[in-house]
Amino acid sequence: MDPDVFEDVRTELGIGAPWEARGEGRWAEAASLDPVTLAARLLARQARFVTLTATPTGDGGFRLLYHWDLDGSLLNIAIRVPGARVASMAAICPAADWVEREVRDYYGLEFTGRDDTPPLMLREGDERALFVRTQELGRDADPADTARRTGGGPAPQLPASPSAWPGPSGNGAGVPS
Amino acid sequence: MSPVIPIGPYHPALEEPYKIDVVCDGETVTGAHITVGFNFRAIEWLAERKNYAQDLALVERVCGICSNVHTLTFSRALERLAGVEAPERARHIRVVVHEAERLHSHLLWAGVACELMGFQTLFMACFALREKVMDVLEAVSGNRVNYAMNKPGGVTRDIVDPAMVVAAAREIGRVTNEQLIPVLTTDRTVRARCAGVGVLTREQARSWGALGPVARASGLPQDIRRSAPYEIYDKLDFEVPVREEGDVLARIVVRALEIVESCRIIEQAIEGMPAGPTDLGNFLPMPAGEATARIEGPRGEVFYYVASDGSDSPTRVRIRTPTFANMPTVALMVQGQQLADVPLIQASIDPCYSCTDR
Repeated sequence: MDPDVFEDVRTELGIGAPWEARGEGRWAEAASLDPVTLAARLLARQARFVTLTATPTGDGGFRLLYHWDLDGSLLNIAIRVPGARVASMAAICPAADWVEREVRDYYGLEFTGRDDTPPLMLREGDERALFVRTQELGRDADPADTARRTGGGPAPQLPASPSAWPGPSGNGAGVPS
Repeated sequence: MSPVIPIGPYHPALEEPYKIDVVCDGETVTGAHITVGFNFRAIEWLAERKNYAQDLALVERVCGICSNVHTLTFSRALERLAGVEAPERARHIRVVVHEAERLHSHLLWAGVACELMGFQTLFMACFALREKVMDVLEAVSGNRVNYAMNKPGGVTRDIVDPAMVVAAAREIGRVTNEQLIPVLTTDRTVRARCAGVGVLTREQARSWGALGPVARASGLPQDIRRSAPYEIYDKLDFEVPVREEGDVLARIVVRALEIVESCRIIEQAIEGMPAGPTDLGNFLPMPAGEATARIEGPRGEVFYYVASDGSDSPTRVRIRTPTFANMPTVALMVQGQQLADVPLIQASIDPCYSCTDR
């Protein structure tokens, strides 16, 4: 693709610093860019939304890395949000619908402008932000335990000895998973 | 009041956890709601708490059908992070296994689709052909599932009998060309069940981000092997089959033609395979930084993002599988279709629920 196209995109998005070429893709930090504007500009160029990588920054905010495919080239554009709210782009980019629902399940990030954000990996009624809540219990805590504690009733209790586990021969064949 | 028919959470054909609630007016579908997550394992969370060697085994288990694509994409992301590239021979071997996995996946799907159509003879023909692929994968890797072939910097095993692999690829390509494709494209049963059924338009495929054969069957010529070549794909001669119809039959035809192309690719990769090392050796510790990698899996683009702080565990791993992108399009495909066609339509995206739920 003509390199000028990427410069045009950078200008349209108001990204000051030049693209950083790494791997197959181009990277940019655009701290205050609105995701809806980003989506509108890239969709107008027939770009394809790949996914969103949300990473908690440790201060209650997030670094949101939006990955887009522009005619085979990968654009990785990072924005930062100080809290757990960001504009949803699902209304103009249906491909973002499930991604936003998944990110909300994991990190509790609220996508504003949606009619609703039903859970995707969690079940209706489950408490959101599964990974954030699990992290609060310790780095090596188990998200399954967190989910059982807060969303799915009490955790099933198994006898301590495997020989006493349910199953035809006490060998664990009937252990609930 | 329109009846809602709950199908699932176990797929009637694929025996995986997934639920679709179908709203009907008589026998005609007027709406659908998809529920996933029954097999959610928090693999991204786990990957951020294990070291790179453990993660290689972990990501291989994202999927039981296309396990190889996950270790390949993860390994390539780590190689990008470290600024290294696998040796030439290793890249040839990776392509052979990658395409063999595509063969077995497409043939597995074709068999399941034929069973759903009620075409048992063709189901058995597809699975008989798939067994030849499984024999190749077992001979090359030692395993029929979870091949453990990739590692950052190369592959874990050499191909010791390349002639056997080439002979099998030629045979599979010949049978597909002479038997499978003619039946799949002209048989009255196949056409009656699949032509004009479950249409996804080009515009719908684009806006919903459809990938792989689903996108290509709706007229979108996207294939990472062509648009962003990795390993040795820039040196290989192959076609990217595209159809415009967007129906179940188009998805069948695209995958069938891809079987033939994969056989051609395997032949070329083996014939051009140079002598030399198959891996770089240990290049840990991983430097701090972030990288992405994409490959064209059997179901479409597989995407990995890996961030490192220089320790022996990644600080962030993001996995976007193709079925995650394709699954929502089923709700569009079933609109206005007959209830009896829903199982076939949802199977036509070749869904992998294990991949989706991660």
